Amino acid sequence: MRRLSGRFRSSLIIGIQGIRARKLRTLLSMVSLFLGVLAVVVVQAGASIAERALLADLEIQQGYDGTRVMDMPMQQNATEVLTATVRGREDAVAMLGVSGIVGEPGVLPVNPGGAPLDQDWGPAMVCNDQGCEPAPGVKGQAVEVRLTALSGDVRKFRPYRTVSGQWLDFTRMPSMSPKLVLNQPAADAFEQYRVPAEMRVGGAAANVTPQFVGVVDDGDMQPRAYVRLDELTTWLPPSRMSDPNTGGEMRLLMTQGSPVEPVVSAKLKALGVEPYVQTIETRKEQEKQLTLMRLVFFSMAGLVLLIGVAGILNVGLATVGERVEEFALRRAVGTPRTLLAGIVLAETLLTGLLTAAAAIGASAAALKVVTMLVGDSQPILRDVQFPWEAGVAGIIAGIVAGVLGGFVPALRAAGIPIATVMRA
Amino acid sequence: MTALIELDGITKVLKGQEQPRTILDGVGLTVNAGQSVAIVGRSGSGKSTLLSVIGLFDRPDSGSYRLDGQEIAKLPERRAAKLRSSHFGFVFQRFFLLKHLTAAQNVAMALVNGQGWLPRRQRRSLVMEALDQVGIAHLAKSRPAKMSGGEQQRVAIARALVRDPKILLADEPTGALDIETGTLVIDALLAATERGCGLILVTHDRDHAARMGQIHDLVDGVLTERVTVR
Repeated sequence: MRRLSGRFRSSLIIGIQGIRARKLRTLLSMVSLFLGVLAVVVVQAGASIAERALLADLEIQQGYDGTRVMDMPMQQNATEVLTATVRGREDAVAMLGVSGIVGEPGVLPVNPGGAPLDQDWGPAMVCNDQGCEPAPGVKGQAVEVRLTALSGDVRKFRPYRTVSGQWLDFTRMPSMSPKLVLNQPAADAFEQYRVPAEMRVGGAAANVTPQFVGVVDDGDMQPRAYVRLDELTTWLPPSRMSDPNTGGEMRLLMTQGSPVEPVVSAKLKALGVEPYVQTIETRKEQEKQLTLMRLVFFSMAGLVLLIGVAGILNVGLATVGERVEEFALRRAVGTPRTLLAGIVLAETLLTGLLTAAAAIGASAAALKVVTMLVGDSQPILRDVQFPWEAGVAGIIAGIVAGVLGGFVPALRAAGIPIATVMRA
Repeated sequence: MTALIELDGITKVLKGQEQPRTILDGVGLTVNAGQSVAIVGRSGSGKSTLLSVIGLFDRPDSGSYRLDGQEIAKLPERRAAKLRSSHFGFVFQRFFLLKHLTAAQNVAMALVNGQGWLPRRQRRSLVMEALDQVGIAHLAKSRPAKMSGGEQQRVAIARALVRDPKILLADEPTGALDIETGTLVIDALLAATERGCGLILVTHDRDHAARMGQIHDLVDGVLTERVTVR
């Protein structure tokens, strides 16, 4: 161990002396290697940023990996069973969706069916036993939203990003005037149609005036508003939430192993409702798609790195050719062949690591500049940090390039005959 | 007393040519601690090859080579490197100083050779001691380009002495120097023998050879003459 340490230190000292003595050559080696390492760092950074951005979007739409999602068909009693079972629980959140129209009283919404404002899903319909027909009335200053009632804070399963204002506060007493958190399309719609608002929900006891408390990014294109379940049920009985005519939806998000799942399942089955349960595996599905893309880009980066390795190899061979006498002399004073090889490898490794540091620094600085310049217009680049994986990839690329580029020169240095100094 | 170096029947044949050429032919030589030996001979007589064999740069094809009583003629390279570090100091005609290093760093080169590790302070102390022995401690921070030939050769001698070798091998150390400077260099080498170090000097110069304890003449690979001067 002590001998190894001595050899390691010796090769490091001599390697640094060699680099300092041949600054221009070292610089040329670094230049030839820089693009290769930079390519690896950029590909890794790009892949990590893209992966995080894609994952973040998928997570807010579907949920964190491992989340158990139970969907169930609409059934009047099922709503009551669901809300009663999850009430006050931290490990499960019920999401009950109904249609709501917010805006000028007595008018048809500008987006019947809760369509995105730039899409036309056809006229509003009224359905009864005889069938469906267009709803009477005229379009006015009102927006139809998907109203999602939450039994608890859903953000532990879906990380909605707060855009402005605040999220629903589940710790306070429920308000008589339901507090709504809008998603971005709903907020944009209400930005366009600012009217004294009332909220109409089919089956509600009264049309109440809601309070907009915040805006979140939930990844949905459809105008949507989130409300506390207990605030909505003040005015809308749970049984009316499952009316298929209102286009309702029922979903339960749970942690894995939550006791809520078997209880709700059993209760629903007793009511004749067959729930469908799945586990979110966003990352796993995403990784399959990203792996191929990453492979293609890494192959390209590897080729560029290979050219860099050829550069360092070329410079290394030339340097060893110039240092024949030095290496022979070092052998004469007792330096073992392995240490001579180690000296050359130490030099190329240090060069590789210096290059990696330069490439990582340049990439991090470039990312900073890009996010400052175009971060506001490109959400993917907003608040993005230089990924540590890219730094690690750069260091590994530098080490690999150093070893590959220095291997042949190291062998050549170790094979220099000692008698060279005698015949000089 | 065990002889420091004992060569007996050493033969070295140069192969790889149309006709193999015998460079050393049954050479026998004994060197004791503190003894100085000059080997003289014409160019191509095998002097440097003999020094290569003694210094473990090269292996003899046949014969016996004992160092401190231990047979080392067929030593593997790893152990040979260790012995070169612990037993030998080398001085060459061309000084072989690394121009990017200072005199002190050139001397320290023999200490930073992977054969054990010395702390920086101890290295510095040994280097300064070696430079002082050859009278150029004041040039420790100078680079070779700023030194005269004699000074450079003395740095090379300090490099050879810094590990306190048992034997110094000097191959034409005065060949690139004027007479006066050459004499100073020989003085420095002989001073080492007074501290018990053996010295083998390969030279063309009969005057320098005459200052050694023994003179051997190498003619066509055969060590033919032994003159004891003192």
